[in-house]
Order: sequence, then structure tokens, then C-alpha cells
Amino acid sequence: MGAERSHRAPPASHSRSAPVSWVLATASWITTVDHKRIGILYGVTAFAFFLLGGLEALLIRLQLAAPDAHVVSAETYNALFTMHGTTMVFLAIMPLNAAFFNYMVPLLIGARDVAFPRLNALSYWIFLFGGLFLNASFLVGTPPDVGWFGYANLTSKQFSPSHSVDFWLLSLQLLGVSSMIAAINFIVTIVNMRPPGMRLMRMPVFVWMTLVVQFLIVLAFPPITVGLIFLMFDRFFGSHFYDVAAGGDLHLWQHLFWIFGHPEVYILILPAFGIVSEVLPTFARKPLFGAPVVVYSGVLIGFFGFGVWSHHMFAAGMGPVADAAFSIATMLIAIPTGVKIFNWLATLWGGSIRATTAFHFAVGLVGLFTIGGLSGIMHASPPVDLQQTDSYFVVAHLHYVLIGGSLFGLFAGAYYWWPKITGRLLGERLGKLQFWVLFAGFNTTFFPQHYLGAIGMPRRIYTYAGATGWTLWNTVSTVGAFGIAAGVLLFMVNAWRSLRAGAPAPADPWDGRTLEWRTSSPPPPHDFDTIPPVLGRDTFWREKYGPRGAPPAPSHDHIHLPAPSHWPVVVGLGMAVLAVGALTHLTIVLMGALVTIVGIFRLALEHHRTPAHEHQTGGLGLDHRKVALWVFLGSECFFFGTLIATYLAYRGRSVVGPEPHEILNIPLTTVSTFDLLMSSLLMVLALAAVERDDRRHARLWLFGTAFFGLIFLAFQAWEFTQFVREGLTLQQNLFGSTFFVLTGFHGAHVTVGVVWLLSLWLLDLRGRLRAADAVKVEVAGLYWHFVDVVWIAIFTLVYLIP
Amino acid sequence: MRAALAALVQTLGGCAWDTPMTTVIPRSDFGRDILHLYAIVTWVAAGIALVVGAALVLALVRFRAKPGAPLPVQTRGHTLLEIGWTIAPALVLLVIAIPTLHVIFRTQAAPPAQALEVTVLGRQWWWEFRYPTLGITTANELHLPAGRPAALRLEGPDVIHSFWVPQLGGKRDVVPGRRNQLAFTPEIAGEYWGQCAEFCGVSHANMRMRVIVDAPEAFERWVAAQRVTPPEPSGRAAEGKAIFTSRACVGCHAIRGVSAGVLGPDLTTFGSRRTLAAGLVPNTPANVAAWVKDPGALKPGVKMPVLGLTDDQAKAVAAYLESLK
Repeated sequence: MGAERSHRAPPASHSRSAPVSWVLATASWITTVDHKRIGILYGVTAFAFFLLGGLEALLIRLQLAAPDAHVVSAETYNALFTMHGTTMVFLAIMPLNAAFFNYMVPLLIGARDVAFPRLNALSYWIFLFGGLFLNASFLVGTPPDVGWFGYANLTSKQFSPSHSVDFWLLSLQLLGVSSMIAAINFIVTIVNMRPPGMRLMRMPVFVWMTLVVQFLIVLAFPPITVGLIFLMFDRFFGSHFYDVAAGGDLHLWQHLFWIFGHPEVYILILPAFGIVSEVLPTFARKPLFGAPVVVYSGVLIGFFGFGVWSHHMFAAGMGPVADAAFSIATMLIAIPTGVKIFNWLATLWGGSIRATTAFHFAVGLVGLFTIGGLSGIMHASPPVDLQQTDSYFVVAHLHYVLIGGSLFGLFAGAYYWWPKITGRLLGERLGKLQFWVLFAGFNTTFFPQHYLGAIGMPRRIYTYAGATGWTLWNTVSTVGAFGIAAGVLLFMVNAWRSLRAGAPAPADPWDGRTLEWRTSSPPPPHDFDTIPPVLGRDTFWREKYGPRGAPPAPSHDHIHLPAPSHWPVVVGLGMAVLAVGALTHLTIVLMGALVTIVGIFRLALEHHRTPAHEHQTGGLGLDHRKVALWVFLGSECFFFGTLIATYLAYRGRSVVGPEPHEILNIPLTTVSTFDLLMSSLLMVLALAAVERDDRRHARLWLFGTAFFGLIFLAFQAWEFTQFVREGLTLQQNLFGSTFFVLTGFHGAHVTVGVVWLLSLWLLDLRGRLRAADAVKVEVAGLYWHFVDVVWIAIFTLVYLIP
Repeated sequence: MRAALAALVQTLGGCAWDTPMTTVIPRSDFGRDILHLYAIVTWVAAGIALVVGAALVLALVRFRAKPGAPLPVQTRGHTLLEIGWTIAPALVLLVIAIPTLHVIFRTQAAPPAQALEVTVLGRQWWWEFRYPTLGITTANELHLPAGRPAALRLEGPDVIHSFWVPQLGGKRDVVPGRRNQLAFTPEIAGEYWGQCAEFCGVSHANMRMRVIVDAPEAFERWVAAQRVTPPEPSGRAAEGKAIFTSRACVGCHAIRGVSAGVLGPDLTTFGSRRTLAAGLVPNTPANVAAWVKDPGALKPGVKMPVLGLTDDQAKAVAAYLESLK
């Protein structure tokens, strides 16, 4: 396949073409696997959800503008703030970040696409359907109304009997899957697809921040996935994870939520930090000051971000030791964050500043995030936080970091990269007007909220009494909110005008420092005609202005454009149908599951035997699929770790029997454990056979592994049946709930493994598993061994240790 | 111009902080400990904001691109500077961390033996206060003696709530299945406002309370009044009592000598309370009558049902309840 001609975004006038080409165009977008188009899809969809979340915010502010107002009812208000938070976090900021990851990361590292283009599309479709599913709750009159962090036990069936919470938890699970798949994709891309010369420390800081964010996603989403599984099982199947009467601990939800929730805020802000780290140097015409330090501080923030979660629980009654520990940890994390601010300031210092709109927004972030970060430091002191938490003070804090930080960063990125993406420039005068209107509106809305919190206004209240003295600044805040709306509207006007008749953008409108400016605006489908040389950090700047150093070896690559596919949207739809079925009827669940499973198989086998798909080895000599699986196993460690930790935390807390020692059959389980271990041995033999092209033995051992797996599952099925007969069910007590969910999910993993192995066995039967395909068996083997290791842990902790 | 400046000064100055739910005018030892720390973190934050803001503005003004200027020096970094501005924030944080640790442990220490024990139950959407050592139970209006430590044990029969009376200190969650504690000594007599601070359902915004800190003798008188069985009412109040005892009211509410319901607030001394419906409106006969007739109009989702009383019946019941002092 040869290089294609440069492709420019069609001007708007082409929308008046014949219906057939309209259908073809839509079909091409639905089946696209091009990272640039997927980035645009993410961006447009997320922006639409952002507007929806903004509308919800305006209604909130209208209701609060006056005391005892009746703009909306209490029920509606509670749904509005729940949906506003959930929408802005999961359907707006995260996917807007993803839009930039998708479009820019391959360009920034000099690659032509991401590691798994069709999985990339799949992430988008699951996101879209997840977001639509969440908002469908409005249409049936039961929007979620428990707050975006849905504390148990308000979310229990007893206190939230309608489907509102079900919509919430199911859509969050869908969105979690979307994010996880994308995260694995980007990690493999960044680790494995860099051209020669693009060493890690030469990567643009935005790419580094993206990498840290993907690791955060991979490790932070499993705990909340488990927390939501517990909630789902409580609501749908009568388990007792959050049931106080059965011995459950309501802090469990809070811990699981915030173990996710705190890394989540770094997931939301680090991309914006990355964007600022690109924009400031470009417009100051100086390198990022202390770039390695900015990178390390980002990594440290990501790492330590896992150690501060209970600063969201200072009022929850954890005791002084826990309060003190999390307080110190939270203060520590302020240090790498502050270091970034200082490095950005030093980047400006001594520079030659061109104050474009993108630059305005980046500087805006530096100033506003400083304010948000400082109020965060105030919260880090538990006694002070006992006055500030759950009040408008923390509402002010979170909006300063999320709007002043994330949103301003995203606007900086939009103005910076718009020319590259669309081939047009956004208006600078209108842009600066937009900045100031947004800046003024934002500060008017949220600065007074620090004061409102200081005079005791709690959050999440649909109304208040005038005698509290909260009225004046609530009214001011509401006026400010319309200023924010005006600012957003101005951006939309700017965007529209640019797309219709904006000035055409050259490849390098800003005299940029990084590789995306080295290709046309917009880039051709294959991104780069030839893979660019990498001379160091800020490689494009060095090409233009030196120092050039020794010329790198020319890279030889062939351009392979991944073919479009309709299976991602099919799998996405299947999962959406599954979710709908969970709220309606089992038949629909089965239908959705069927579509999903068939879609996954077709997706997996679609390009089997295509030359490009046989060799997916990256610069480090590792196969993409192996790297992906290792990352996935990392997330699985956290998944099973959470399940096991819950089992252990709840040990001995059951209010009624039976207890473990009365019912667990250790001798029998020892046999099934041995069987599973032996299956791993067979797997090793299978891989060896495939590698030496011994198809007969490959078939034997692959089938044998699957067979031993089936035996294990048979043992488990027998065990479960016995337990139910002896009175231990999911609903019986806490032991039943934790035991069945832990071992049940492990069994589900074994089942997936058996299906995977039998599929490989079938492929071999058809002669489609040769030595060149050994990596597929290796990857399956890694998964299988991991599931075994998890079982060893479960067997030891649940069965052997009383 | 002058008026705007005056408003600004007033806003930043004293007057505008003295509101019923203020967190910065403490009336207990707990509140004062917090305020001391609050002041430290605020000054530190303001100081850093000023320094960073000034540096930012200075850089933006001073280093604007001049037409025809050459490329600026491509400085990549400065190790000593990096070390410096890593250590400096750490030192500043020490200023916050050390007093923080002191206050955490001091304010969460076990209450002294002479503390007055109160069990606080947070329910959807009202507050029950039991005094186990005094044998009295009341609702939505907590009375405490000035100068004596109070030991609050927080319990919850339904969902998570949060007990917050800002002028008496920080908040503490009411977590079903857990026994959280809050201990402090209210120092100055007065009426303080509180509110639930953890989203707990439809009428979370309406779960308010009053805390009356009495001088010790006044508190003793209040306690004595709580223990008295209300005398037989006469006139309108008697009519109201007849309705009360013949309707579902007795199933939920307790009035000493009359009923023993546990699902709703204890009403034995309802007439002496300053507000009703958990701090929502002043306790006047008209408000009580309106509440009794249609509680849901004031408090969406309230568990108290509409009993189908006529206006006249509601007024009679109100007269009875107001007689319970």
C-alpha cells in the first residue's frame, strides 16, 4: 500500500452533496479505526455531553439564586447535581482528554496510529453508548439522584428503590470498560511504537502525562469496578456487602470509591498539565524548564495519588491515626505539584512571549490551578477540613481545579491543536474575548463559594433559608454561571466560523517544537509520509534551529493503514443491550451477551493471517499483544486484590452462620487446586509444541489445558451446589456474599480462559495456528498462569488460613 | 465608587462573617482549635498565591516578545533551583503539618469523665437527641450546658448523615453500624444553627437543627422541664389531644404519659422548641397547623403522612402541641 495524497477536511459546503455520499460518509465514520477520526468523534461527543452537563449546572444555579426557590423540585435538583457531576467527570473531561490522546499521541511520538486501532474504536463506541444509557434514565423518569459518589447505603434498594441507581452503576461499568481498553491501548502504543531515537525521556511531556494517566486508569478502575459489582449484587441479587444489619461496613464503599476517586482527579488534571507543558514553551520560545523534573513529578503524583484517598473521609470517623497519616500524605503530594507550577513560571521567565489565545488559557490554568491547589492544601489539614468538607468551600476547590485546571487546559489544547486537526485557524480576537468572558464568569461563579462555605453553606442542598446570609453571593454566583455559558458559546461561535471560513492553517503555524507540526494540517491518513528523525527532546525545534547532532539512521517502514471495521460498533451495541437487559428482562441480557461475544470473536479473527497483523513487534522487541496482556494483568491484580481484601476485611463479621470452618471442604478443594496447577503445566507444553510447529501435540496440550480447566469448573459447580444445599447462599450472610463473589469471579475468569484455549485449539484444527502464531498462545498462557496464581492466593487465604 | 469600596471592606471585614452557620466565629474549644489552624492555612495559602501571582504577572509583562528580537536563551533547567523549590514548599508544609497533628489528637481524645453524654441519632430527615444519664429524649433542638464538656455519640438507623454545628466545631458523619464520636466544650451561651452535611436523600436540605447552649442553671431548669409529664390540657388543646390520640400520630410520636411511638420525634416538650420540622420554620401555631395538615409541602419525601385533617382539626392539634412545654 503506498502513501496517499494529503487529505484536507472538506469545507462545510460539501454537506450539500447527494444522499448516497452522505450515507457512505456516515458509514465511514462508524467503521473508522483511524486515531484522528476517533479523536474527533471523542471530541464532538464529549463536547455535546459537556453542554448537557453545563445545562444541568445552570438549572442548579437558577434554583440556588434565591432562598426557598421553586425553580425545580427537590427530587429534580438531586438528580441534577448527580448527573452534572457524573457527566462532567466521565462524559466530558475524561473523553475530551481522550480526544487529544487519540489525535495527538501518535503524531507526537512519530507513529502512524495506536497499537490496536479497532480496540480504539471499540473504546469510543462503548463510551458513546454508556453515556446515552446514563442519560436514557431521564427519559424513563428515574435519573440517578444519589450524588456522583453514590454513598452506600443511600444507594441500597431499601433507600433507593427505583432504577435510578441501576442506571448509574451500569453506565459507570460500561464507561470503565471503555477507559480500561483505551488505557491498555495507549500504554502499548507509547511503550512499543516509538520510532528509533524517540527514547522515553525525549518524548513530549504531554505524552508522558498521557502515559501516567493510562497507568492510573488501569490500576484505579478495578477497585471501583469491584465496589460497583458489590452494589450491583446487593441490589440485584440480595447480597450484603453494604448491609449494616448483616455486618457490612459502610466505609467499605467509601474506601473503594475513593481509592479510585483520588487517582481519578489526577486522571482528570494531568493531561491538562501536559498540554500546558507544550503550549507555554511554544509561545515563550524557550524549552520547558526542568522538563525531566516535570516528568518525574508527574510520575510521582501518579504514584502517590494512590496513597491519599482517605482525605475524602476526614469527617467519616476513621480515627486520629488514619486522619494524621492521610493528612501528611496529602500534604506531601502538594510538593511535586508545586514544583510543576514553578517550572512553568521559569519557562516563561526570560522567554519571548507571544500571547496567543492558547497561551492565555495555559497561563489561566497556572493561575487558577494555583488557587485550587492552595484550597486543596487547606483541606489537607483534617481539623480545618471538618469545617470545609461537604460545604461550598470544597465545591469552590473542586471547580477551581477542574474548570480552572482541566477545562482551561483543554481550551488551551483546543486553540493550540485546532489548526493541525482542522486545517483552519480559530479566530484570535474572538478567542481572547472568549478567554476573558470565561475567566470572568468562572471566577464570579466560584470565588464567592469559598466564602459561602466559610459561612457554613453545606453542599448538595436544593434550597436554603434567607436568614443564613447565603443569598447575596449565591445570586452573584448564578450570574457568573451565565458568564461561563457565554464563554462556552463564544467558543462554539469561534469554532463554527473557523470551520466555515477560517484562515487556512500551515503545517507549523506556531513555530512549534514537536513532531505534529512536521506534517500537514490536517495530517494525511497515514500521518507522516516518512517517519521523522528524532534528534532529542523538542526534536522538531532542533531540526529547525539546532543543535542537530549526528544524523540518525533513516528508518525504513512500509505504510500500513488499518482497514475499517464494523465490529467495534457491534460489540459496543451488544454491551449497551446487555445493560438495557439488566433493567428489563433476562432475554435481553442474553441477546446482548450473544451479540457482544460474537462481535468479540469476529473482531479477534477479522485480520487473522494479514501480514501486518502477524508482526506486531515494537521498538523494544516485544509483541504489542504481550505488552497489552501484562498491563491487563496489572489491572487484574488490583481487581482480585480488592475482592480478596474485602473477603479478609469481612472475615468473622457474619451475623448468622454457616461459618467457613463449618462448610469449606479442604480435601476436595486441594484436589481441584492440584488440577488447576497441572493445567498450567499442560499450557507450558502447549506453547512449546506450537513454537516447534508440532501441531499434533499443540492440539493435545491445548485441549488438555482446557479440559483440566473444565474439571476445575466442575469441582467448583459441585462445591457451590453443596454449599447451597447446606444453607450457604449469596444472600445468607456476609461470608456467603464475599465467598461466592470472590470465587465466582475467579471461576468466570477460568471460564473465559477455557473458551480462549478451545478457540485456539479450533484454530489449530483448521491449520491456522503455526509457529508464527506462537505469541497468541503465549499470551493466552500468561493469562492462564495468572488465573492459576490468583487461585493459589484464594485457596491459601480463604480455605487454608482460618 | 465609595459605596463599592465600603461594601468590599465590609465583605472582607467583620460584619459579613457573623452569620448563623459561620465557621469562623467559634463558640467552643473545638471551634477555637480549628480556627487557629484555619488562620494558619489561610495565611500560608494567601501568601503563596500572592508570590506565585506576582511572579506570573511579572513574567508576562517583562518577557513579552519584542518585534525583531532574537530567540531567547534556550535554558533547559537549573538543578539547584529545582532542589530549592522542592525543599521550600516542604518546609512551608511543616508549618501546617505540626499544629495539624497536635489538633487532630487533642480534639479526638477521649472526653473527660464529667462530660455530658448525648446520643445523637441522625434519621431521614430529623435529629433525635437522647441523654442517657438524664433519662430524657428530645428532637431537633439540642440543649447543652455552657462550660461543661459534651460527649456526643453519633448513631444512625438509616443512611449516612453528618452532624454539623459550625460554631461549635467541625462535623462528624453519622454512619449506620459505626459509633462515631464528637467531643467539645461549648463556652458561650446562645443559639447555634446546625445542619446535616452528608447527602441523605430527598430532604437532605431540610435536615436542620438548633443547639441551645444554656448557662448551667438554665440548663438544669430545662432538664427538669423535660422530665415533667404534661398536665391534662383544656379547651382547644384538649380537642387537639383527642385528635392526636385517636389518629395515627400515637403510632410514631412519643409524648410522656400519652404515647410511646419511636418512628418520629419525641413531642413531650414540643411547645418549648423554637423551630419545627428539624429547624425549618419558626414554631408558631400557624406553622404547626400547616405542617400537621400537609407535612410534604414543607419537606418533600417526609415520612409523616397526610392524615386528612381539616383546617380546624389541624389548628386544634397545633394548640395541643404548643401547650406541651
